[in-house]
Amino acid sequence: MLGDILTPDLFASAIRMATPIALAAIGGTICERSGVVNIALEGMMLFGAFMAVVGTTFTGSPWIGLVVGVVSGMALAAIHAFASITLRTDQVVSGTAINILALGLTGFLMEVIFGRPGTTDPVPRLTPVFNFGGPTDGVWDWINTIVFSYTPIVYMAIIIAVVGQWALFRTRWGLRLRALGEHPRAADTVGISVIRGRYSAVIVSGALGGLAGANLTLEQVGSFTEGMTNGRGFIALAANIFGRWTPAGSYLASLLFGFADALQIKMQLFRDVVAIPSQFFLMLPYVLTVIVLAGVMGRAVAPAAIGKPYEKG
Amino acid sequence: MPELTSEKHPGRVAAVLRELLVPVVSVAIAVIIGSIIMLIAGFDPIAAYSAMLKGAFGGGRQIGETLLRSTPLIFTGLAVAYGFRAGLFNIGAEGQLFMGGLSAAFLGIALAGLPQPLNIVIMIVGGAAIGAAWAFIPALLKAKVGAHEVITTMMFSYIARYLVSWLVTGPLKAEGQIPQTERLPVESTLPKLHEMFAFLVPSRVHLGFIVAVLIAMVVWWVLKYTALGYESRAVGLNPWASETGGISVSATTIKALCISGALAGLAGVTEVMGVHFRLFDQFSAGFGFTGIAVALLAKNNPIGVIPAAILFGALSAGGGTMQLEADVPQKVILIIQALIIFLVAAEQISRWILGQTVRRGVEDAG
Repeated sequence: MLGDILTPDLFASAIRMATPIALAAIGGTICERSGVVNIALEGMMLFGAFMAVVGTTFTGSPWIGLVVGVVSGMALAAIHAFASITLRTDQVVSGTAINILALGLTGFLMEVIFGRPGTTDPVPRLTPVFNFGGPTDGVWDWINTIVFSYTPIVYMAIIIAVVGQWALFRTRWGLRLRALGEHPRAADTVGISVIRGRYSAVIVSGALGGLAGANLTLEQVGSFTEGMTNGRGFIALAANIFGRWTPAGSYLASLLFGFADALQIKMQLFRDVVAIPSQFFLMLPYVLTVIVLAGVMGRAVAPAAIGKPYEKG
Repeated sequence: MPELTSEKHPGRVAAVLRELLVPVVSVAIAVIIGSIIMLIAGFDPIAAYSAMLKGAFGGGRQIGETLLRSTPLIFTGLAVAYGFRAGLFNIGAEGQLFMGGLSAAFLGIALAGLPQPLNIVIMIVGGAAIGAAWAFIPALLKAKVGAHEVITTMMFSYIARYLVSWLVTGPLKAEGQIPQTERLPVESTLPKLHEMFAFLVPSRVHLGFIVAVLIAMVVWWVLKYTALGYESRAVGLNPWASETGGISVSATTIKALCISGALAGLAGVTEVMGVHFRLFDQFSAGFGFTGIAVALLAKNNPIGVIPAAILFGALSAGGGTMQLEADVPQKVILIIQALIIFLVAAEQISRWILGQTVRRGVEDAG
């Protein structure tokens, strides 16, 4: 039976499931490195997921849908940035408002555009990048499934993790960003604009949240359902912490959650063999998140100025 | 409230009015932005809001419905507000509410045949206890390893929902096709207010509303006059100073989040005992999240939670009528709710707008 569960498809599914969490987690990393908490990733992902479907519905092109999803995530992020940086609102409260706003906007627009609550019409999806075929067993099957079977955003996430890691620790941009989150006053003194730096970090995180949403609707599901992000934005924040506020770490931590998700889906196929109710498998990623937070928090160190509004003075 | 009109404190009235200004202006701006959104989407905001008002306050039955819907919001609003006072953000009130509902559905059947007053007391205490228990692990993790309660309580929310989903489809499922628990016997339910007070117009509002108002007063008293409340507030204001002053921050954090959980649990209890008489998957309309808006609008004042909850109860009660008569999707209420949170939290916006109007008013007068 273990052979039936540990198939190449399970690992490929883990990487697919990890993708939206990883993108949002990297968004969280960049945002928190600049000193702004972003619990609104959930809402940005939800809004991005919905607008990606809207964009695809009206243009027929999932690529345009992807762009619309990303831009929508950025738009919500701009509100979060304005509230938490310019108005110096409590960042967690502003994030909560964004999450509720996203729920309301998607639900409202859903009825306005599609004429009903619940789920939208299906839209054309983004298709896998490669299509090699070949034998469906043996080593080639493993390589073909685990390396070459994915849709574009899955590869984008990996590229973003690698490039993000390099940029955060090897470029001037990265050094400046980290300075904003560790010691904004010092950054300001040497001529780095704290406000502008934080704005761009928050908006980049919104773009990544929107891209995560587009992955959900345009690659995984093919339609939008109200509330479909189901806490992934919060799980992403845990992945970011588990990944020690680094893009590569965030990606790797997300694989853990992706694997839990993939296993959960796989186990539902064995419902008759394993007499465990499906709800317990559905709980798995959430339980895992709590365990991860319980285990690593003592050792992981957050950026020093996180959550504190900056006042020039 | 006698102290408001007391002539010994002429500044008091002005102070209270000033406190009320931001919430009132925030709600007004949110309503205006809501109208703009409706206009853009091609709806008639005047028709929408008048249908909403009619649905919320159009008669005795409607007012009863508004109070019915504000009942769980008073509890979740208190839960979030108590957390905020202690510097904790209990975003997972929804999960504690689910556990409270679960305990009521279970106890209500188990206590069948016993006298109603006894059942009500046991079920309320039981729901509060399990709500507190559900908040305990996040509280412990916050106090001991610093795991952020926003993520952990949220995760516990999802876990609670799947737990309830499993129980109502499996072990606790009643006979029949629908996944729900058995209907509670009448001695395990909360009586309707019009059954208790003959002069009231018949409506669905139940004893839970009065319990909620009483609990709000108790929470106000605890925060203001007890050592427990003092410690919670001190830790919320400045944990480092509190620790230096001899207050255990970790013990206070655990107590405060558990109290918050207990209050949220009560919302689930009254929904099961007073509204649905049983438990099913979708028995909460996101009351835990609306509780955040309620607490913020009330500026975390337990007494202020009551009118704030009634406002959101009215939005919810009127929302159905609005959708029915003006054809505007009810979800617009969530948008208005989010706007209110923004505006209250960023109170400079209201103060700035107010400042502009006052200045203009003065110029006009001069």
